[in-house]
Amino acid sequence: MLEFDGLCKSYGADRVLDGVSFTVAPGSMFGFCGANGAGKTTTMRIAMGLARADAGEVRWRRRPLDQALRRRIGYMPEERGLYPRMRVAEQLTYLARLHGLDAAPAARAADHWAERLGLGERRRDQVEKLSLGNQQRVQLAAALVGRPEVLILDEPFSGLDPVGVDALAEALLEQVRGGVPVVFSSHQLDLVERLCDAVGILARGTMVAAGPVAELRRREAGRLLRVVVPDAPAGWAAGLPGVRVASERAGDTLLELAAGADDQAVLAAALRTGRVTHFAWREPTLVELFREAVAAPGRAVAA
Amino acid sequence: MTASGPRDPGSAALVRLVAAREVSSRIRDKNFIVSSVVIVVLLLGLMAFQVVVSAGDGVSRLGIVAEDGRLGPAVEAQAGAVGLDVDVVELPDEAAARAAVEAEEVDGALLDGAGPTPELLLAGRDATLEALVSGAVSGVAVSDRLLAAGVELQALPEVAVTTLDGSADDGQQVVVAIIGVVVLYGLLILFAQFVAQGVVEEKASRVVELLLATMRPWQLLAGKVLGLGLLGLGQIVVIGVVGVTAALALDLVDVPGELVGTVATVVAWFVLGYAFYACVFAVAASLVSRQEDLGSVLTPASMLLVGGFVVAIQAAGDPGGTLATVTSYVPGLSPLVMPVRQAAGEAAPWQVLLAVVLMLVAIALIVRVGGRVYAGALLRTSGRTRIREALRAERG
Repeated sequence: MLEFDGLCKSYGADRVLDGVSFTVAPGSMFGFCGANGAGKTTTMRIAMGLARADAGEVRWRRRPLDQALRRRIGYMPEERGLYPRMRVAEQLTYLARLHGLDAAPAARAADHWAERLGLGERRRDQVEKLSLGNQQRVQLAAALVGRPEVLILDEPFSGLDPVGVDALAEALLEQVRGGVPVVFSSHQLDLVERLCDAVGILARGTMVAAGPVAELRRREAGRLLRVVVPDAPAGWAAGLPGVRVASERAGDTLLELAAGADDQAVLAAALRTGRVTHFAWREPTLVELFREAVAAPGRAVAA
Repeated sequence: MTASGPRDPGSAALVRLVAAREVSSRIRDKNFIVSSVVIVVLLLGLMAFQVVVSAGDGVSRLGIVAEDGRLGPAVEAQAGAVGLDVDVVELPDEAAARAAVEAEEVDGALLDGAGPTPELLLAGRDATLEALVSGAVSGVAVSDRLLAAGVELQALPEVAVTTLDGSADDGQQVVVAIIGVVVLYGLLILFAQFVAQGVVEEKASRVVELLLATMRPWQLLAGKVLGLGLLGLGQIVVIGVVGVTAALALDLVDVPGELVGTVATVVAWFVLGYAFYACVFAVAASLVSRQEDLGSVLTPASMLLVGGFVVAIQAAGDPGGTLATVTSYVPGLSPLVMPVRQAAGEAAPWQVLLAVVLMLVAIALIVRVGGRVYAGALLRTSGRTRIREALRAERG
């Protein structure tokens, strides 16, 4: 288990992290979402020892991370960084060696990942001569080349074209299948939803929602009801007890029901307006979960 | 990928990896190659210039007709006394002598040297050769007459030489030391700059985050300083060997042993000076995030280096002076000033030892305090970090 346990961090009076906790099981992918400035990068930097937590710790296999354990982590920083004038293959080999590989296996791993991420022909080019997209691929290769036991990636998909996204997604899933826990942050929620076993939503320095996507959905489901009533006058549902109208457009109504509100009463009211062409609980998308979680201050949901 | 899995590299292994990267990337750097070649070419040029300039009063060739075995050695002894080299060539007769002088095979030819009418043939007037030859001729004549008069010549007293400052002629050593200090100064600036540029490159490109995820700041610093230091040491040794070899081959020095000693001293001071300035420059460089800002933080340390250089040149003229004596103990200045004083024979062994110890203490201090500043400043990639902030923030 990769455990983030009660991380707190302040910069002066600015409380960036306030008790952030979550766990990532081996062989699972954890998507880390949150608005800009929510504290995702700080959380990852603390894990990598690049920032010091005021309280809390990060553990891998029950041991607090130290320099030796961190060497077993593949890391991709938010601010990309490589030696601009070093050749791709040499750079990857060097980084693999810093992660503890011997010279020959390091060179092989460098070639393997360069090939794998579509950099085969660029192997002997200096990094600064590559396009930004290709530099991004080198950066990913740098995280993977040391045969990591854990992957921590800050916005790994930003700046990649769709082909690059697929190549990276495939590479990450392969790592997951090999038992590696993967944590990555992203604003591309569709991608997170597609790839991740679990997500965490960070807002204002706390984890406002964390758990498997399906579970979060289930919890939020049963609250949003979509009713399509083409003949109904505007505001038909406004007076129903325990019901808030989330949106209403030409009879397509999204209703938010408070706990205990009677959905059958809503159906009866809908039928009174005429035809009902759609009546169903709606599964929220991750985007909606995200908006919901981020918008409601102080409401923490933990799995 | 079937090979052995990753192991946990120790500090030594990490430092070695960093050092190896520094060497391999620097050795392919055009600036480095050009500067190495330029320094060696300059040094050789300087010595060639020395040979050309001193060619006039260097080796003269004197032809002697009907040499009786005493005049030749007399001329050579006379020349040796005033620091000149004369090669003596035997010529059969006057005609051969005239031909040799006209063909410039010899600078002059002596006819009838031991006889009653000695005559010196010259292509043009040559005061030095004239004085030498007349001295030698009259010397031989005088001893002949004394011998004829029955005077015992074996008992002539020899003059014993004692110099009051306790040393032989150090002029040449000082010149060697000055050349050494110029090279030393150039290399210190060059390699300390390399270190500083490397530190900023890692900060500016943010690769430092990846590096620090695998190693501690001091390991990174040590690897960088050691790698470039080995390269610098290699360069100064090459320059020293080329310089000494050329100086010996061109016959520019009188006492090869002292030359080698002075060069070795300079190389040893390079090691101390480099350790000092590389650490200072690295720590200063860690405070900024862009190459453009490097100049402003390096200025104070550079001034110290320039100051040491100026004092060292001044010390060559007055190695026993107060300024030279005091500054030869000041860490940072001593690597440039002390070699000159040592070459001039002005520094007692305990003084050198004291300067070395002070320098080592200073280096230890810089590594300790500077290492903390470096660690604290390395991850602050916004603008310029103050030393106090860095000390407080160490990995904050």
